[in-house]
Parts: sequence; C-alpha cells; structure tokens
Amino acid sequence: MGEHLTFIGSVTAQLVRAVPVTLLILAVSGVCATVLATGLTAMSVARSPLPRLVQRTWTFLFRGTPLILQIFMIYYGFAMVPWIRHGILWAAFRDPVFCTCLAMTCCCSAYIAEIFRGALAAVPRGEIEAGRACGMTGFMLLRRVIAPSLIRIALPSYSNEIIMMTKSTSLASTITVLDITGVAQQVIAHSYRTLEVFCAAAALYLLINATLSTLLTALERRLDVDRAPTPLAPIPPTLEPLS
Amino acid sequence: MMDDLAILGFGPDGWAPLLLKGCLLTLAVSAASMAIGTVLGILLAWARLKGPRWLRRAALVYGVILRGVPELLVILLLYFGLPSLILSLSETFGWEAPGLPPPFLIGSVSVGLVSAAYQAEIFRGGVGAIPRGQFEAARAMGFSDLMCFHRIVLPQVARVVLPALGNVWQFNLKDSALIAVTGLSELMRTSLVAAGSTRHPFLFFGVAMALYLVLTTLSSTAFHYGGRYSNRWDRG
Amino acid sequence: MTVPPPVLTATNIRKSFGDREVLAGVSLEAREGEVISILGGSGSGKSTFLRCLNLLEVPDEGQIAIGDVQAPLARNRHGRLEVSDSRAAARLRTQTAMVFQGFNLWPHLTVLQNVMEAPLRVHRRDREEVLATARSLLERVGMAGFHAAYPKRLSGGQQQRVAIARALATNPKLVLFDEPTSALDPERVREVLALMRSLADEGRTMIVVTHEMAFARDVSSRVVHLMNGRVESSGPPAHMFGADASPAFRAFLSPAAL
Ligand SMILES: Nc1ncnc2c1ncn2[C@@H]1O[C@H](COP(=O)(O)OP(=O)(O)OP(=O)(O)O)[C@@H](O)[C@H]1O
Ligand SMILES: [Mg+2]
Repeated sequence: MGEHLTFIGSVTAQLVRAVPVTLLILAVSGVCATVLATGLTAMSVARSPLPRLVQRTWTFLFRGTPLILQIFMIYYGFAMVPWIRHGILWAAFRDPVFCTCLAMTCCCSAYIAEIFRGALAAVPRGEIEAGRACGMTGFMLLRRVIAPSLIRIALPSYSNEIIMMTKSTSLASTITVLDITGVAQQVIAHSYRTLEVFCAAAALYLLINATLSTLLTALERRLDVDRAPTPLAPIPPTLEPLS
Repeated sequence: MMDDLAILGFGPDGWAPLLLKGCLLTLAVSAASMAIGTVLGILLAWARLKGPRWLRRAALVYGVILRGVPELLVILLLYFGLPSLILSLSETFGWEAPGLPPPFLIGSVSVGLVSAAYQAEIFRGGVGAIPRGQFEAARAMGFSDLMCFHRIVLPQVARVVLPALGNVWQFNLKDSALIAVTGLSELMRTSLVAAGSTRHPFLFFGVAMALYLVLTTLSSTAFHYGGRYSNRWDRG
Repeated sequence: MTVPPPVLTATNIRKSFGDREVLAGVSLEAREGEVISILGGSGSGKSTFLRCLNLLEVPDEGQIAIGDVQAPLARNRHGRLEVSDSRAAARLRTQTAMVFQGFNLWPHLTVLQNVMEAPLRVHRRDREEVLATARSLLERVGMAGFHAAYPKRLSGGQQQRVAIARALATNPKLVLFDEPTSALDPERVREVLALMRSLADEGRTMIVVTHEMAFARDVSSRVVHLMNGRVESSGPPAHMFGADASPAFRAFLSPAAL
C-alpha cells in the first residue's frame, strides 16, 4: 500500500511538471482564437458578401472536421508541402506545439465566432438605437454600448468553450508533445500501471477546469449588474469613479 | 496528378474502398456511442431529477468528471486501463487472463460515456422546459405515469431536445476520430495509414476532411428536417 | 411679437417598407418652444416619421434640417436616398434627443452613468460640469436617490424618467418622444406626463407621438393627425378638439371618447 502511494506521488509530480505545457497551449490558442473570432464576427456582419462568405466557409470547414485531423494535416501534411518544408516557415511548422496552437486557433475561433455572432444578434436593438440617437457612431458605439452587452451575453457559452479547449489540448500528445496526457502515456510505457497514471492525469485536468470555471463564473458575477444592490441613500458628496 | 488519382481510386493500389469502409465504421461507431449515450443519458437525467439523494449526487459527479476530462484520456483509460484492471483482478482470483478488448466496443463505449454526460444535461433541461401545468393536466385526466411520459413529455421534449442532440451527434462524429488511437480502422485511422504508406499526407488528410464534411453536413441536414418534423405543431 | 426660428424643418418625407408605403409625403415644421403632438391610428407611420427625423430610419424621399443645418442625405448610384456622411448625421443627432417607448437605458451603466454618457463621450464636455448637470437633472425628474442604481432594478416609470433626464443631459434643441407612456401602468403614466408637462412649460421644443389625448389637448401647441401616411389635418388643440375639427380626426377620437 505504501509503495502504491509513493508511486502515485511520484507520477503526480511528473505530471504536474507537464502542466505548464498544457497551459501554454491553452493560453496561446485561447488568446489567438478569441482575437481571430472577433475578426470573423466583424466579417459576418460586413456589408459586402465576400467577408461574409469567408466567415461562413471558415466555420463550415473547421467545425465540420475533427480537430485531431486538422492537427495532423498541419503537422504531417504541411511538412510535405515543398515551399513550407524549404521555406522560413519550416522552423515553426516542425514544432508540434506550434502546430497544435495553430490548429486549435483555427478550429476554436470558428466556434467562438459563432458564440459572438449569436450574442451580437441578441444585443437589444433599442440599446443600440439609444446610442445612435444621442450621436454615437462606429467605434464609440461598439465600445460603450454594444460590447458591454455582447460580452455579458456571450460569457457563459464562452466559458464553456474554454473548458472544451482545455480538453482539446490533450490532442497535442498525439503529435509527440509532452503535455499532461503525453507525459502520462510516457510514464505508462515505462511502468505499465495504466489505471493510476490516467486517473492522476484526469484529476489534474479536472483541477484545471474547476479553477478556470471558478474564475470565469466570478467574472460573470462581477459583470452582472443585476446582482448589484440598489443603494437608496442620497448622493454622497464624493462620487465613485465612473468608468 | 495521375498517381494521385490512382491511389485515390478503386484500382489495386487505390485507397477508395478502405476509405469508404472507414467512413462506414466511423458512422457505426458514432451511432453506437450515440445510442449508448442516449440510454445512459436518460437514466442519468432521471437520476438527477427523481433519484434518491445519493444517486443524484453520483449522477452529478459523473457529469462533472466526464465533461471535465479530455475525451482522449477517457478512451486511453478504457483501452489500456481496463485490461490492466481485469488482468490484476484475474491474477487475484486466478481467472484466465483475457487479451486486449475489441477496439470497436471500447471506442463506442468510451465516446458513449462522454456523450451520456452531455445528453443527460440536455434531457434534464428539456424536461425542465415543459410547463408544470402540462403534467397536472395529464394527471387530472387520469393519464398513467408511463402514458404521460409517452404522450405528453416525449413529443414536447423531442422538440426542445432534438437540435441539441444534433449538436451532440456532431461531437460524437468528431470524437470518434480519437478512437484511431486504439487502432480501429475508422476514417481517421485509415487516412493516417494511407498517408504514411503512400507518403501523401496532404492528399489523404484532405480527402478525410472532405469525407468528414460530407458526414457532418448530411447528418446536420437530417437533424434539421427531423427538428422541423418534431416541431410541426408549433408553427402557425 | 416675432415668430421664433424653426428648430426642425422636415419636407415631404416619404418612406416605404417593401412595397408598403408608410409615409407618403409628410412635412412638419417645429418652431422654438413648440410642443407638437402627433396622433394617429396604430400603424399610421408615427414612429417611422419620428425615426426619420433623427435618421434612425433613412427616408426614401424628402429633406430634413435641424436649425439651419441640412441632414446629409444624398442619392447613391441606384438613386436611393442614403446618409452621405455618417459623421454629419451623428453631429445632427447630437442636436436632438429621443425618448423611446421601451426606455432603452443601457443596462450595464448606473442611472448617473446613463445620464452622463452622451455629454461626456459624445460632446466631450467637462466632467465636473456634466456631473453637476446630471445631478440636477436627476433631482428634477425625482430620481436623485437612485444615481447608483442599475436600470433593471427600477420600475418602468422610474426608468422612463431617467431616460428623459438622459435625453435632456446634452441640452438638445429638440426632444423626440415616441409613445413615452404606453409601456407604463396608469400611475406611472401620470408621473411621466407631469414631468413632460413641466418640460413644456419650461419652453423645450418637443415632438411627441402619443395616445394620451389629455396631454395633446392641454399641453401641446399644435396637434398633427397622421393618416394613411399623410398629414390628414393639423392645428392648435383648441381647433382640433373643437367643433370644426376634420371628420376623420373626430372619427379617430371617438373610440377614445367613449
Ligand atoms: N423596419 C420595418 N420593416 C418593415 N416594416 C416596418 C418597419 N418599421 C415599421 N414598419 C411598418 O410600417 C408601418 C408603420 O409603422 P410605425 O411603427 O411607424 O407605426 P405607428 O404609427 O408608430 O404605430 P403604433 O401606434 O402601433 O406604434 C407598420 O405597418 C409597420 O408594420
Ligand atoms: Mg409606434
């Protein structure tokens, strides 16, 4: 029994050392996908048909195929394309972490853009009109009226998508990245003690996801003005800073 | 270019038959996991809604775990972990040691277990979306529980639930590609083998992508019409 | 006595949705200090006309001027009227304000922030000054105690009073009201109407789409009856609610009189 515990302890220590790799992939692709999704959302409401078509095709392509296939396409497929193999891009494309991040950025941006698109459609028209009626245009309207509503509407689904992304990072292990799942497989190859190792890895993923979802829920609560108490006190002499 | 056509064709060096077989296997594995997910999902939803306290807790924990752990890990755990568990059990009890489990079974069960966690949430939400008055009206008119479920709950739940189930199906279809790690020669695995042996990964992954697109598009169209049918009484 | 200058001149406004002609040439002039009530049956195009005035809706035909500034409307290459300069349109809107039927307060901003938003961001006025104006306006509409509340927590009448304070915060030349009381229960209707009456007494130029006949009769300086996309009749309330009003307007009023 004691031997058992020490084994689980040492395995956990090894797995924990791989957590930064998982988090790095998650952070890089999370940020890039969100930025890209913002662009795609803008394209989806563009006036000319071309950007709209691009967004629709992008969504169709990346939501309709498995992420693992996209990762393989980028990692193995692009390696056979001569101008990548012999160009300056090769330094990036030979790196499995880069390839995972690239595939996840493309794939998840399609999902996130759909979330943003739905939220944009759900922003009450009247709020936007009230902004226009008092002379707001373009960026100011977007920043002061549309974005605050859009973010609040999109946040629950966005949080969900981030959790999905955390799980997807494990696919990096299929192209030799030593993330949590990768290290777990490596340890098993040496020790043949599958059950303990995979359970420890699963626990780590659960921990990461629990942390993320706690943070995102806290953010949601913070942004939810509906929960704020209504002070009925008279106006204090110094007012709180207005943001 | 001619080589490309030859290795993609139905000829002796062509991969077309294997790729198509891969497609069918992908569909079969996805359908099996969807079915497992639906049955288990309904049970889990029932457990969450009507079960005794401990069962409610257990169903909740199941959902949290299966929706929080990567699908790949679940598949690996079942494929490699289960045999080692059985092995150690059979050592303890002196049974004959079984070999590796069949990949199709393990694949569809593991994707199905994950699918069940998501489907349970959908069914729970679907039942919650039916106004209480509907149950009361049925009970007042003397419907039995089973009849109430069959005549009142099911048609209404189907309307709410079908689009969401369509989504789960799409995820199942794509998650089935992960079963490739068990060596089951579904579409993903076949394209991987073809890419390796012909050294044309770009071509074969591209073809596999196109085939997945066909599968996802066809099935989303099917769900669309299914949704329209189940929704026929809610249109003006 | 000299005639005050016009604040708004709208000439021959036409607007169709698809092949349904909603406005078939409506003209209206509002002089400083005038309170104009627009009455008409449901679907007669009142809201559409009001929304054309601040270019929330682009008319198919016609001209609009606020003061002596023409609205930037020009024909595009398909011959359709279009906002030719969105900055100029925005500038025009800064001269007017609108109060909506559904209030349309920004839910993520407090009452005070809602009132301060436009003068601060759009007009770029001095913060202290804006704050002082906002506080006195909230006092004015009876919402001083609620400066830190978020709109969702307020009753409909309170929200509409805040929306009116928001509309006044930029000191607009013209305030447009689109059925400001029709989403409210009778008690709230009274508080909002009282507030609008006091604005009228103060000499604000207002155009009000309303179903409140008493308000139209007692407060407005002119009543305009829209029917089938045209001004069917118009005149001072004494005339419109008097014996020699047009038959169509009297017919419109009669169900209300019952
Ligand atoms: N964006 C739009 N697209 C299509 N039709 C519209 C649009 N806006 C208004 N309409 C139509 O124009 C007509 C006039 O609408 P409008 O809202 O101006 O009426 P109203 O006089 O304000 O009526 P109410 O008293 O009910 O508010 C209606 O028949 C309406 O259906
Ligand atoms: Mg209207």
